[in-house]
Amino acid sequence: MARIEVRGLHKIYGKHVAVQGLDLEIAAGELLVLLGPSGCGKTTTLNLIAGLDAPSSGAIMFDGQDVTGISAYRRNVAMVFQSALLYPHLTALRNIETSLRHRGLDRAARRHRIAEVARMLGIEILLNKLPSELSGGERQLVATAKAIVREPEAFLLDEPLSALDAALRLSLRAELVKLQKRLGVTTVFVTHDQVEAMTMGDRIAVMSNGRLEQVGTPDEIYNAPVTLFVAGFIGTPPMNLIAGEIVAGQFRQGRFSIPVTAPPGPATLGVRPQDVRVVAPGGEGALQVEVFAMEHLGRESVLIAESGDGSKMRVLVPANFRARMGDHLGLLPDSAQCLVFGADGRRVIVERGSVSRYANR
Amino acid sequence: MRRNRFLVLLVVPALLWSLTPIYWFCRMAFLTPLEIRRFPWPLIPHEANLAAFYNIFGFDYALPNGTSPASGQAEQIIRGLINSVAVSIVVTMITLVIVLPLAYMFARTSFRLKNSLLFAILLGTALPPISTLIPFYAMYLRLGLVGTLTGLVIVNLTVTVPLVTWMLIGYFRNLPPIERLARIDGYGHLAAFVGLVLPQARSGVAVAAVITFLFAWNEYTYALMLVNGSTANTLPTAISGFLFMYPEPSNLAASVIITIVPPALVAYFLQRHVGDMSLVDAVR
Repeated sequence: MARIEVRGLHKIYGKHVAVQGLDLEIAAGELLVLLGPSGCGKTTTLNLIAGLDAPSSGAIMFDGQDVTGISAYRRNVAMVFQSALLYPHLTALRNIETSLRHRGLDRAARRHRIAEVARMLGIEILLNKLPSELSGGERQLVATAKAIVREPEAFLLDEPLSALDAALRLSLRAELVKLQKRLGVTTVFVTHDQVEAMTMGDRIAVMSNGRLEQVGTPDEIYNAPVTLFVAGFIGTPPMNLIAGEIVAGQFRQGRFSIPVTAPPGPATLGVRPQDVRVVAPGGEGALQVEVFAMEHLGRESVLIAESGDGSKMRVLVPANFRARMGDHLGLLPDSAQCLVFGADGRRVIVERGSVSRYANR
Repeated sequence: MRRNRFLVLLVVPALLWSLTPIYWFCRMAFLTPLEIRRFPWPLIPHEANLAAFYNIFGFDYALPNGTSPASGQAEQIIRGLINSVAVSIVVTMITLVIVLPLAYMFARTSFRLKNSLLFAILLGTALPPISTLIPFYAMYLRLGLVGTLTGLVIVNLTVTVPLVTWMLIGYFRNLPPIERLARIDGYGHLAAFVGLVLPQARSGVAVAAVITFLFAWNEYTYALMLVNGSTANTLPTAISGFLFMYPEPSNLAASVIITIVPPALVAYFLQRHVGDMSLVDAVR
C-alpha cells in the first residue's frame, strides 16, 4: 500500500477547469473520502490518481515516486465504479480473474488466490454466475473481490454505493470500512453523500468547483469548517447561515445582534441547529421568526422558521415541543458555538486555542 | 381478449400483404407451361413440377408431354448467383471491419469535429442512390471499374458504411461503460475493443451483418447501371433479363424464389439477435 501525494494538480478540458491547483496527501493505509456536489471535480481527481486521465499540470506520487506518466495498470491501483461495474459477458470468476491477467501467475495460483478472496467475502457460490444474475449487493461484493484480489497499492472507489437501495448501502458501508481496515490498503473514496463521508472516512477532503475547500477528520470538518461552503454542505439538518454585518464586536441583522470576536464589515454567521435556543417573541437580541414547518424525527424534531428577510432557520427541539405554523418565536444562538465567515467566504478565525490551527487548511 | 382480436386484425392483412406475392410466385414456379396457359389458372399445382429449377440452371427437363428446354438466361442466372453471393459476403465483411470500430469511436470517445463528421455520415445515408449514379458511372468509366465486381463492391460500401455506422452508434452507446475498468485491468484500447466490447456486442454485430448482407443482396439500381450485361452481373439484374425475352414465367418465378432463399436464411438464423437490439436508440 502506498502513501499518495497530489501536488499542484490541474485538469482543464477545453475551457472548463475541472480541477484547480489541488494539493493533497493521503497517508499509507488511510481511508480518505473525496466529498463534494456533482461536478466539483472529485471523480476527475480520482481518475487522475488512478492514471485513467493525464493531468494538465501537477504531479502524482506513490510513496515519493512520481507516477504521473505511468499507465493505470502499472500503478497497480484497483478501482470500483458506480453501480459495481463488471464485464457483463463474463462470469464473476472470470471477472475477478481479469485483474490477475498480467501477473505471470499460473492458472492454479490464480484460482487459489481467487478462492481465498471469495471465502473472505463469502461469495463462493456466486462465482459461476453472470453479472446479470446477481443482485446489486452481490455485484458490489464481486467488484470488491475483483479489486482486492490484485493486492493493489491503492483502492479507488467511485461512488460505489450510490446505485444501491438505502438499507443495503448502510450494511455495505460498514463492511467496506471493516475490510479496508483489515487489509490496511490506502483508499480514496469518492461520494457526494455527506453521511457516507462522515461515517466512513478517516479524513474527508471537501471539494467544490475544482478546488479543495478543506481536508480534515470528520470531527474537524463538522466542528471547524474553514469555509462557508463546507459549513453549509456538512451536517443534517444543515447549518444555519445568517447574512449580516459586524459592528463593534456585535454581529447584527436588523434588530438581531449577538456578540462575536471579529473585525467589522459584512459577514455571515453560522450556527448549527442544535446550538440555537427557542425563546419568547420580542426578546432583546433574539432573532424574530415565524414558524414555517415542523419535522418530527422521533427522538427530536426540527423546527423550521422563517426570519424577516425570508431566510429559513432550522432548530433542533425536543420531541414534545409544540408549535403551530405562523406562531411567532424568538431564536437565540449560543454565541460560543457561532462561526463567523467573512465576505470572502472564509471563516474569521477567532483566537480561541484549539480552533486557530485550522486557519491554514 | 379484445386486445388479441385487435392484433389479429392488424396481423392478418400484413401477412396477406407479404405472403400473397410469394405464394403466387411459388405456384408459378411449379406449374407446367401448359397449366400456366390454362384459364382459370389452377390455385395450386397438381404436382410439384421441378422443370423450371432445372431450366434456369441450364438443364433440359423431360415432361410427359415433351421436353422443357434449358432457359436462355441460364448462364446469366448461374453467374448472377455466384456474383451476388460473392459481392454480398465481401461487402458484409468489409463493412463490419470498417463500421464496428468506427461506430464505437463515435459512440464512446470524443474527438475534434466529431459532430460535423457525424452529420457527414447522416448525409451519406440520406442521399438517394440515384443521385450519385451518374457521377459514379462517369468516374468508373475513367477508372475502368464499369462491369467489375470491385466497382460494385465499392459502390455498395458507400451506402452500407454510413447506414450501418449510424445504426450502431446508438447500440454501442448503450453498452456498459467498461473502458475505465479495462484500463485498470491493463487492456489497451484495441485489446479492450476486441476482447471485451465486441463479445458483448454480438447482437449489434449480427444486426449490422444482416442489414449489410440484405442491402448488398437486394441492390439493383447500381448493379443495373454498372454491371448489367457484363460478366459481373448480379442475380437481380440477371432476373430482370427475363423481361426482355420470350416469356418464361415459370423460370422467372423459380429465379425469384432462389433470390429469396439466402436472405431468408440469414434473417432466420440471426433474428434472435435482431430482437435483442433496440433499433430505436439508433435514431435518437
